Amino acid sequence: MRDLYQRLALSPSANSHQISSAVTHCANSALRQDAETVLGVAEHRDAYNKLHKTVSDIGQLRARLGLTHGAHWQGDVANDFSLPPDNAISRHDELVDRVSYAVSLYNHWRRFKGPLLLVALFTAGAGIGLAFGFTLGLGLGTR
Amino acid sequence: MSIARFSPFELLLLKSRSQVDTATLLLLAWVLVHRQHVSEGQRRRRLAQVTAQFRHGHELGPIMSIAHSQDLQAIQLAAEVVRKECSNERSLSALYQAITLATDDGDLSLANHYILRFLADLLNIAPSTLSTLFQELTGKPLCPPEDPSRDAYWQQHDPEYHARQAQEAQAAEQQAKEAHARAEQRQRAQTEKQQKKQQKQQQEQQRQQEATRNAKARAQREQAQREHDQHEQARRTRWQQEQARQEEARRRQQHQRSSSPPPADRTTRALAVLGLAPGASRTDVRQAYRRMAQLHHPDRFYSESDHLVALASARFQRIKNAYDYLMQTY
Repeated sequence: MRDLYQRLALSPSANSHQISSAVTHCANSALRQDAETVLGVAEHRDAYNKLHKTVSDIGQLRARLGLTHGAHWQGDVANDFSLPPDNAISRHDELVDRVSYAVSLYNHWRRFKGPLLLVALFTAGAGIGLAFGFTLGLGLGTR
Repeated sequence: MSIARFSPFELLLLKSRSQVDTATLLLLAWVLVHRQHVSEGQRRRRLAQVTAQFRHGHELGPIMSIAHSQDLQAIQLAAEVVRKECSNERSLSALYQAITLATDDGDLSLANHYILRFLADLLNIAPSTLSTLFQELTGKPLCPPEDPSRDAYWQQHDPEYHARQAQEAQAAEQQAKEAHARAEQRQRAQTEKQQKKQQKQQQEQQRQQEATRNAKARAQREQAQREHDQHEQARRTRWQQEQARQEEARRRQQHQRSSSPPPADRTTRALAVLGLAPGASRTDVRQAYRRMAQLHHPDRFYSESDHLVALASARFQRIKNAYDYLMQTY
């Protein structure tokens, strides 16, 4: 499995016109023949694109997990689909971080629950009283 | 700290009684999603059968929907959990389950070829172990995956397309052949006409000659013949001399050509290819050539596309030709 798009310097979403021009300009006759058969026919291209998507996903996973030099990842596939390792944080570490953050938030809430509820009750009462007084004042003024 | 919410899979993982089981479940569902010719209900039933002993305490539905959405981040998280928490035996059994799910009816889909190998790498299982496991489970050896990026694959899987192509090529060839045959026929007809004309002329000449011969006496004829012979000999010698003279002239011309200095135009062009102004010295040429050859060597573009390699080799060939020419003549 080779990445024909990469070898022809195309993007996987290239339209048929771009593909045909790239194929005619390709100097390697074997590659030209392969690209004509695979990318030139819509059904072949669909099937190839599906596998291409899966294999490039696997290439990305391998890059993230440090498996780009695995024993099962060799030959054309490894040549064409290996990505440079990126600095994305491990998903598991991120999950642990987020859970601990959520836990600390929860603990804060539990600790200050009483005083916070009191404050909330007081502000709500004050707001209602203010609104009531205001409407009363307005009613007196109009009379 | 990220503000993102917890994704569905993260929530499942947090609620699960056994994180490894949930993570393995997602990887197995990923394998199942890439199996062809299976309905959704069959997939769920099969997954439930294989993972009957798992101790996660949640539904399989959300797992299948995450696997269907091909959520890379969820799969990465599952892979990390599995790698972190799987013992050797557990990883072997996980791979065993993955192989059974991928090859219930024998055929391993192309995507699953790569997914199984990814799982084997993830679980730290050697290729020999994987192939023996596969052989034990399915009774078939694990062959390398077929390559749909090649013409040969489609010749096997879509012979109609190639038959159509071959027919078109044949038709084009036949047309070319017919056109060629027609042209040949025309030529033949023309040559035949010419031959006929020539024959007629010859016949007329012969008739005339016969008439003259009959008119003249034998003695006269002999004399004429003698004279004719002499004439011919003279002509032959003259022709030979002329030939010799022409050859000598040719030789002289060649000699002149090789000894005369080459045209200045080509030299300046060759110098321009190497990026030099006319009047550069021999060492300049050599240095410029080294620099240009390093810059444009096709091996530098090997990691990029084949197209770029081809362009680079064309440039390199031009530079080398210019250098060779300058070294010979300069």
